[in-house]
Amino acid sequence: MTTDTRTKRFLSWIDFRFPLTEVFERHLSKYPAPTNLNIWYLFGFLLIVVLAMQIVTGLWLMMNYTNSAEEAFSSVEYIMRDVEYGWLIRYMHAAGASAFFALIYLHMFRGMMYGSYQKPRELIWLGGWFTYLILMAEGFTGYVLPWGQMSFWAAQVIISLFSSIPVVGEDLATWIRGDYLVSGITLSRLFAFHVVLLPILLIAIVFFHILALHEIGSNNPDGIDVKKHLDEDGVPLDTKPFFPYDISHDIFALGVFLIIFCSVVFFFPTGGGYIIEYVNYEPANPLSTPAHIVPSWYYTPFYAMLRAVDFPLFGLTAKFLGFATMMAAVAIFAVLPWLDRSPVKSIKYKGILSKTFLGIFVLSFFALCYLGMVPPTETKTLLSKIFTLGYFSYFLLMPIYTRIEKCKPVPERVAEA
Amino acid sequence: MKLLVFLLFAFFSGVSFSAGEYKCGSIECYEFSPDTKDKESLQRGLSAYMNYCYGCHSLKYSRYKRVAEDLSIPIDIYEQNLIFDDSKIGDLMHISLQESKAIELLGAKPPDLTLEARLRSPEWVYTYLDTFYEDSSRPYGVNNKVYVNVSMPHVLEDIESELSEEEYDRYIADITNFLTYVSDPSAETRKQLGIYVILFLLIFTAFAYLVYREFKKDLK
Repeated sequence: MTTDTRTKRFLSWIDFRFPLTEVFERHLSKYPAPTNLNIWYLFGFLLIVVLAMQIVTGLWLMMNYTNSAEEAFSSVEYIMRDVEYGWLIRYMHAAGASAFFALIYLHMFRGMMYGSYQKPRELIWLGGWFTYLILMAEGFTGYVLPWGQMSFWAAQVIISLFSSIPVVGEDLATWIRGDYLVSGITLSRLFAFHVVLLPILLIAIVFFHILALHEIGSNNPDGIDVKKHLDEDGVPLDTKPFFPYDISHDIFALGVFLIIFCSVVFFFPTGGGYIIEYVNYEPANPLSTPAHIVPSWYYTPFYAMLRAVDFPLFGLTAKFLGFATMMAAVAIFAVLPWLDRSPVKSIKYKGILSKTFLGIFVLSFFALCYLGMVPPTETKTLLSKIFTLGYFSYFLLMPIYTRIEKCKPVPERVAEA
Repeated sequence: MKLLVFLLFAFFSGVSFSAGEYKCGSIECYEFSPDTKDKESLQRGLSAYMNYCYGCHSLKYSRYKRVAEDLSIPIDIYEQNLIFDDSKIGDLMHISLQESKAIELLGAKPPDLTLEARLRSPEWVYTYLDTFYEDSSRPYGVNNKVYVNVSMPHVLEDIESELSEEEYDRYIADITNFLTYVSDPSAETRKQLGIYVILFLLIFTAFAYLVYREFKKDLK
């Protein structure tokens, strides 16, 4: 018996009991990807790689980290100094968090540009949105763990936002903290969330996201429904199998990504204070508040919105309204599939209004990102208000502008695009 | 494509913005770029630190042995000259000054300085050491331009008066280099390893590109 037939026999033994070959072909080797995918379609793959990296580096960090208020800070320095390659593992995990957000923002923007959230991909989009929510919670809980000054005060500020909720707020914030102020109890519960609950949810939702995607198939930059034209085997004509055509450019992209990522890890590990804040090199001190409390760059657009709402309304406090605005800014992504009334998917074939509002959204996002980082002034708060309106106008006016604008016809086949 | 490059660059680049105030207290920081490759400077800095700073400022996240190894100081010489109590070479660099005693003497607890150069920046440390001036309103008769109304006396006063300005600048540069090193002891290893990693990735990516290009031909 040759090795080849032996492998085949082994595989058929497995396949009789578990659909191994079928799953492998359906989700990997033979997954049909549209032929016109462009650079924006690389980020999903890179996100999976970063997720895997965060899990592996996180596991190794956890082996040496101590989740108590007394020991957390020094255990991080222990990792940095005494653990073999501990510095590398920690820098990768810290830069990995920033990379995760950079990639997920690009990935989300791709979906917005090409209308990948539209029917029938609503559940894929919702899965992705939920992943983003979990990721934000992961980022926040992870940020607290080194127990430096910024860890402590960021936790203090974020958790105290819940206390602005009318009636139940104060009790809710105490319940979340497990104490009347951020303490070792808070630290150890955030640690438990960060290493157990949230990763499990994250992996489960990513699994759902990919399963749903593979059921419907990928969208493409032209928003053409490739399933309309099939070959004799029922495979869409305008697609190519994932292996080897997609995996080869994904691996090339991975190389490029790793060059950028490793340049940061090895040469600029603190990212100029954007990946690891310098204030966090001082242990948490509840008695001394840092001059500027700034969240990580990936939250700053929402932080700017929180600060932009500085007026009470209808008997609600400014703080609560700011908090609600911030939450709404994240939540509104979830209803995007039902806001878009356009007959076409891709921005390429949408009208001038859609293009303008998407432009306004991008501009507002970057502007808010900046405004959330700098100390507020009167002008900057005014700008934050304007850009908050810009951000929401993209979503809230969408049912109107997508209906009234004139779209270009979408070609039947990729070759005609 | 251009947008993508811009986005990635913007997210990862360490462009810092000015917050509209001085980074060094009441003045601009003096120009200083730390050199953590100069082992002689680091050794002089360590020696100055142990003699003038270590009485009050611990380096409690660092170990004697690590410093000895990184600065190429033989263990026996290090043990004889640079450990002042019964600490072992593998111990963390704690000091014996008690907190209550320090507060009684100085009015405040002297901070641990292991991470000071990262927390504040090397320029800050250098400028701080260079800007003590006489001020009779302060308990020790001195004040500082960087850390205004600091509780610390000017411990390098004798050194500053003995040395020429140039020599004193080198003296505090040595201390700053040492503190920069000890705040991130793996920095040199990291940068060296980084070069190999990037070289490997360049070769890997070049081959990955060739594979990609080859398969791309099939699709036409």
